[in-house]
Amino acid sequence: MLTKFETKSNRVKGLSFHPRRPWILASLHSGVIQMWDYRMGTLLDRFDEHDGPVRGVHFHATQPLFVSGGDDYKIKVWNYKTHRCLFTLHGHLDYIRTVQFHHEYPWIVSASDDQTIRIWNWQSRTCVAVLTGHNHYVMCASFHPKEDLVVSASLDQTVRVWDIGALRKKTVSPADDILRLTQMNTDLFGGVDAVVKYVLEGHDRGVNWASFHPTLPLIVSGADDRQVKLWRMNDTKAWEVDTLRGHMNNVSCVMFHAKQDIIVSNSEDKSIRIWDATKRTGIQTFRREHDRFWILSAHPEMNLLAAGHDSGMIVFKLERERPAFSVSGDTVFYVKDRFLRFFEFTTQKEVQLAPIRRPGSVSLNQSPKTLSYSPTENAVLICSDVDGGSYELYIVPKDSAGRADYLQDAKKGAGGSAVFVARNRFAVLEKSSNQVLVKNLKNEIVKKSPLPIATDAIYYAGTGNLLCKAEDRVTIFDLQQRLILGELQAPSVKYVVWSSDMESVALLSKHAVVIANKKLVHRCTLHETIRVKSGAWDENGVFIYTTLNHIKYCLPNGDSGIIKTLDVPIYITRVIGNNIFCLDRDGKNKLVTVDASEYIFKLALLRKRYDHVMSMIKNSQLCGQAVISYLQQKGFPEVALHFVKDEKTRFNLALESGNIQIAVASAKEIDDKDHWYRLGIEALRQGNVGIVEYAYQRTKNFERLAFLYLITGYMDKVGFMCKIAGQNNNLMGQFHNALYLGDALKRVEILENAGQLPLAYITATTHGLTEIADRLAAELGENIPSLPEGKARSLLIPPAPLTASGDWPLLRVMHGIFEGGLDATGKAELEEDDEAAGADWGDEDLDMVDASEAMANGGDGFDAEEGEANEEDGEEGGWDLEDLELPPEAETPKNAGNARSAVFVAPPPGMPVSLIWTQKSSLAGEHAAAGNFDTAMRLLSRQLGIKNFAPLKPLFVDLHMGSHSYLRALATAPIIPIAVEKGWSESASPNVRGPPALVFTFPQMEDRLKAAYKATTDGKFPEALRQFLSILHTIPLIVVDSRREVDEVKELIEIVREYVLGLRMELKRKELRDDVNRQQELAAYFTNCKLQRVHMRLVLGSAMGLCYKQKNFATAEHFARMLLENNPNEAQARRARQVQQQCSGKKDSSELNYDYRNPFVVCGATYVPIYRGQKDVSCPYCGSRFVPSIEGQLCTICELAVVGADASGLLCSPTQSR
Amino acid sequence: MAGAASPDHLFGLRNSFYVGAYQAVITGVQAIPARAALSPDALAERDSLLYRSYIAIGSHQLVIDEIGPGAATPLQAVRLLTVYLSGGAGGKESAIRKLNELLADDAVGSNPILRLVAGTVLMHERDYAGALKHTNSGGTMELLAMNVQICLQMHRSDHAEKQLRIMQQLDEDHTLTQLANAWVDLVMGGSKIQEAHLIFQDLSEKYPATCLILNGKALCLMHMGNFEDAEGLLLESLNKDAKDAETLANLVVCSLNLGKSASRYLNQLKLAHPDHMLVKRMSSAEDSFDRACQAIS
Repeated sequence: MLTKFETKSNRVKGLSFHPRRPWILASLHSGVIQMWDYRMGTLLDRFDEHDGPVRGVHFHATQPLFVSGGDDYKIKVWNYKTHRCLFTLHGHLDYIRTVQFHHEYPWIVSASDDQTIRIWNWQSRTCVAVLTGHNHYVMCASFHPKEDLVVSASLDQTVRVWDIGALRKKTVSPADDILRLTQMNTDLFGGVDAVVKYVLEGHDRGVNWASFHPTLPLIVSGADDRQVKLWRMNDTKAWEVDTLRGHMNNVSCVMFHAKQDIIVSNSEDKSIRIWDATKRTGIQTFRREHDRFWILSAHPEMNLLAAGHDSGMIVFKLERERPAFSVSGDTVFYVKDRFLRFFEFTTQKEVQLAPIRRPGSVSLNQSPKTLSYSPTENAVLICSDVDGGSYELYIVPKDSAGRADYLQDAKKGAGGSAVFVARNRFAVLEKSSNQVLVKNLKNEIVKKSPLPIATDAIYYAGTGNLLCKAEDRVTIFDLQQRLILGELQAPSVKYVVWSSDMESVALLSKHAVVIANKKLVHRCTLHETIRVKSGAWDENGVFIYTTLNHIKYCLPNGDSGIIKTLDVPIYITRVIGNNIFCLDRDGKNKLVTVDASEYIFKLALLRKRYDHVMSMIKNSQLCGQAVISYLQQKGFPEVALHFVKDEKTRFNLALESGNIQIAVASAKEIDDKDHWYRLGIEALRQGNVGIVEYAYQRTKNFERLAFLYLITGYMDKVGFMCKIAGQNNNLMGQFHNALYLGDALKRVEILENAGQLPLAYITATTHGLTEIADRLAAELGENIPSLPEGKARSLLIPPAPLTASGDWPLLRVMHGIFEGGLDATGKAELEEDDEAAGADWGDEDLDMVDASEAMANGGDGFDAEEGEANEEDGEEGGWDLEDLELPPEAETPKNAGNARSAVFVAPPPGMPVSLIWTQKSSLAGEHAAAGNFDTAMRLLSRQLGIKNFAPLKPLFVDLHMGSHSYLRALATAPIIPIAVEKGWSESASPNVRGPPALVFTFPQMEDRLKAAYKATTDGKFPEALRQFLSILHTIPLIVVDSRREVDEVKELIEIVREYVLGLRMELKRKELRDDVNRQQELAAYFTNCKLQRVHMRLVLGSAMGLCYKQKNFATAEHFARMLLENNPNEAQARRARQVQQQCSGKKDSSELNYDYRNPFVVCGATYVPIYRGQKDVSCPYCGSRFVPSIEGQLCTICELAVVGADASGLLCSPTQSR
Repeated sequence: MAGAASPDHLFGLRNSFYVGAYQAVITGVQAIPARAALSPDALAERDSLLYRSYIAIGSHQLVIDEIGPGAATPLQAVRLLTVYLSGGAGGKESAIRKLNELLADDAVGSNPILRLVAGTVLMHERDYAGALKHTNSGGTMELLAMNVQICLQMHRSDHAEKQLRIMQQLDEDHTLTQLANAWVDLVMGGSKIQEAHLIFQDLSEKYPATCLILNGKALCLMHMGNFEDAEGLLLESLNKDAKDAETLANLVVCSLNLGKSASRYLNQLKLAHPDHMLVKRMSSAEDSFDRACQAIS
């Protein structure tokens, strides 16, 4: 039983849940009706008008009404909104036991000790039916939830079912006369609208309660014979089905549970019992120490029950409704309907993984409680309270997702809680001995570790660590070191939520959220009045959590607020931006979209990310008094300023943030004395004299103004003020100003005008104004005041002001962040735009190049489908170690101590991988990688006739270097070289050696070829030649996987060979300056090489130009024609046509050794044509042709092989030797 | 509660040492609370960890200077190791001679650290059988791990697996067991590489990323053919220690396989660690190339 709420009061006799609000009515033996909010735990209202105990109470389903019936024979209908009793229904002649509204019609059914049941119309406020038949107190009566039936229980030992169909029919078509007639009938005959349908006899004593099943034709009753009876009915009869025995005293109340197949009953034996409705056995008993139970009530919608007893009531539920779940990466694993499922957040896809075992024993709260998941092993631990706490371990095969038929025997074990602590280790709490057992996936104990504190539950806390929860605190415990890494006082933590980076943890208890870092250093605590349910961290480090009825946030500094109100509790699984994923109580995944701007804004402020603050202010309409007061409170009035339109608030904020300009503007708008005054004070504080002056002027505060002028040194203005004061007859002000000015004459004048002649006289005398003094003396006559004797006189001169112009040094005002921020972001955006533009230009340039390259590649499509290299050579590499004949192994003796050296025989060394590589391979590249250079060379020599290895040296070394990686094992011990193998796959079996990974690959060659083409196009011939040669040098060491690729490699050799020959001739031609004929010949031979079209065009163009210049018109015309055949561009074509026109019909001026009609190849060394039919020799590697005299020399094209040497041919794939 | 009552103060140090966080060992020694009264054995172990860390970061002279002739056997052994590692041919010989003297001494000959040092030195000498003679009987996890390594050096991964199984029986979750497991997996190759990768992954979650761990992860990726990601990890490791020998060596290998130039890393490695295996392999490769060239012509 999970108690949600408890009250202490007088005996509770009646209870009723509000259908929608979290309210419950409790009617007491004392006559009071209480209305409680069971979620907040507060007493909302009391209704105290009944005289004596109130036994029945019921909320109306839709109206703000409830009905009550008491021992004062009265039925009262109340409006709880107006807190008034609307009316009272009189008629019963004895105590009223129960009252109930009809769910549809304006009826109330009441049961009374006067042996009747009455049905009332609360709209017409009349009794519409009196059901007589019971011959003892009627203890309860209630409507059927759907049909026209009433069930009642009475101390006459019967349960009766009444048919009220006639009453309903009449209500549907009411005719006045009939109504009146029935009214009469009712009075005379005890009612015909309601007739007894069945009388259920079977109880041996008075029956206290009977109620219908919500959907099935069943009735359950409880009686003073301590039995609960189950009845069944059909259209014609009703009969007893079974009896539930167990209660030790009178059964007070009994009902079917709406959601589960159980019966709940309570009794004066101080217990509530739960029964299995199908098996009709007791499942569970909850006992109270001293209180007899009197009443039960079920919530019409939610899974809540309430029970009233001698000293109050309890609101409770029988089973947890929180689904067990665990979030891992992008998925949440959870249990729903006895199935393990997962849900992917990004795709919002839900998959059913595997069924989980049903608990063997029938009991409550056996459903999975927690779930822990190990992503790498795809294993799930499910803990529940079965057998006093146990876990089940499921290992889900990766491919079984979606297959519902998959079933496995879970590994089980007992333990308070179980949680994964590493990829393949989980910890199980053994409460009895307060230790954890660390187990592996085979469910075997690997380690035991005692816990430092008395632990109730354990949670994950990073690999190898456990978060242990005790009554009053939590600790993080390192399982290996057995050390406490952190400790925090936090009473009764229920859930632990780690941030995704494992840096922060939120500890959720019933009414508090504690945020701490990974060492459990406390950051902040939030207290909630409503129960905290769940939480998750968002990407920004804000903790989002739910209470029963709110989604809330908590910033790292502990500020919190409400994001959204909830109707039903949800369990947050993940927060991604504005989207909150959650599970509801039915185990359905839901997506709640919220407005995150408020807390993101606050977070940005907190982190001083003013640029974010700025953009949020600019872009979103987040406003409201709450944000403003938050900003003010957090010391950001200048930010708040930007939200506010109201001038007074603006003024206040401006003053607070010291933004005097805005304050002046607002003050002008408001224009009242008080604001000007406050503006003046602030301006003075900042030293902004101009504004102070302005403010004083606006408030006509002349005294202050004058003093301001004095201290700022505007003496002329003080004089002006003096004049104004005179005009206003403000003598005192005038005098003050005169005093400020040090104008004695003026003062005398003022005093005189004011009639203060003696004072004027003294002033005049003191300042030595004898003339005036005399005149005044004359006027005063006898009354000349005497001057004090023996005192030195000095002039009262006002101190000179420090500055005589402009403002004072201004107080530094902080308004930089904001304005600056605005500017900066603006600028940054501008700059970005510029950069983007630049990049675009660059892109375009590249595009042009690409285009030409694409043309260069033309239709040949050399970049063949390289991806299709099929892996046929799997077995070739499979030289198992097992094949090797190993000498018998000596058992390593394990007895410690000095005996070691005597018996121990070390095993002979094994075979290094590089040796295995070379054993069967006949590929030069693999031998070179293995470091067997001599065999590699011998292979190359044999296969390709290569004699000159010098150019290959760096390649050999690189191959060898790249074939092993280096593993540092123990410190200071030698490092272990590890052979890098080619073609790794997940399923490759260990210790079976594949061929070495070679640093040169065929795709690389293709890249180099492209680069070489480009260099050729650009006319960088030496560079291009170097590139082509590097390809030619690398190819002998390349290994490819398929026959097709072998052909491609061979093709590549030919392409490269042609280019090398052509480029060599071109370079040679450039060297020759004088011999124009030879130049033309070489250019002509170049056109004989097989080239890409783009290059061919260039070559033809150059040959054409050269010949034309030398007046060899026929040959030039030939080149022009060939050029036109090769898809030239506009300019080339025009030039070719011009040449054609000029040359047509003309003859060559000089003889060239070039006959294009006769097919020929060019000798790679002497660069002379070898026409068809002439003898030649070729290079065994690159296949270049030479005149016979070159035989035995090093090939000048590839620089590797000897011309005319014997060779077996290129071997570059294991498939060739098969 | 026994375990929690007497906390193992050296636990953290040991693990830091194993995963290559040598600086953490050096500073960690200071952090051991004074009230933790260490036994003489523990003191010797602490000091040997400390000095071995100094060796690992290349401060050889400091170790030679600080360990006096009166120090305990384990420390003497560590000192001999230093002499061996830093000395020329003569120094090496004398170090081995002294080691053999100590080993022959019945009173101290079975000291695990002494044996460990002997194993290390003999491994450097490529006398694997000799090394195993001293280490095979085990006694500490480190000695067992050394057995694994020696077997691997001998290309006897079958024996290495056996040794590993012994370690696993003793303590499967021990850092050294995990590491040794990863070594064996890496050498065995094939599907085991994934397991090695998981182990290094676990270690990197448990401990701050050291060059050793990053290199381990990178190796796994390289052996799985994923050189791009491996390069990223190695560069991360290079950020931590620009002179780390294995990082540089593996970067050379990685760059070569990516078709990039490796000369800068190679030169760095040659400068910082002229004795590194890769450098040696390279020069010997060049020599053997020239020899082979001559032989064939």
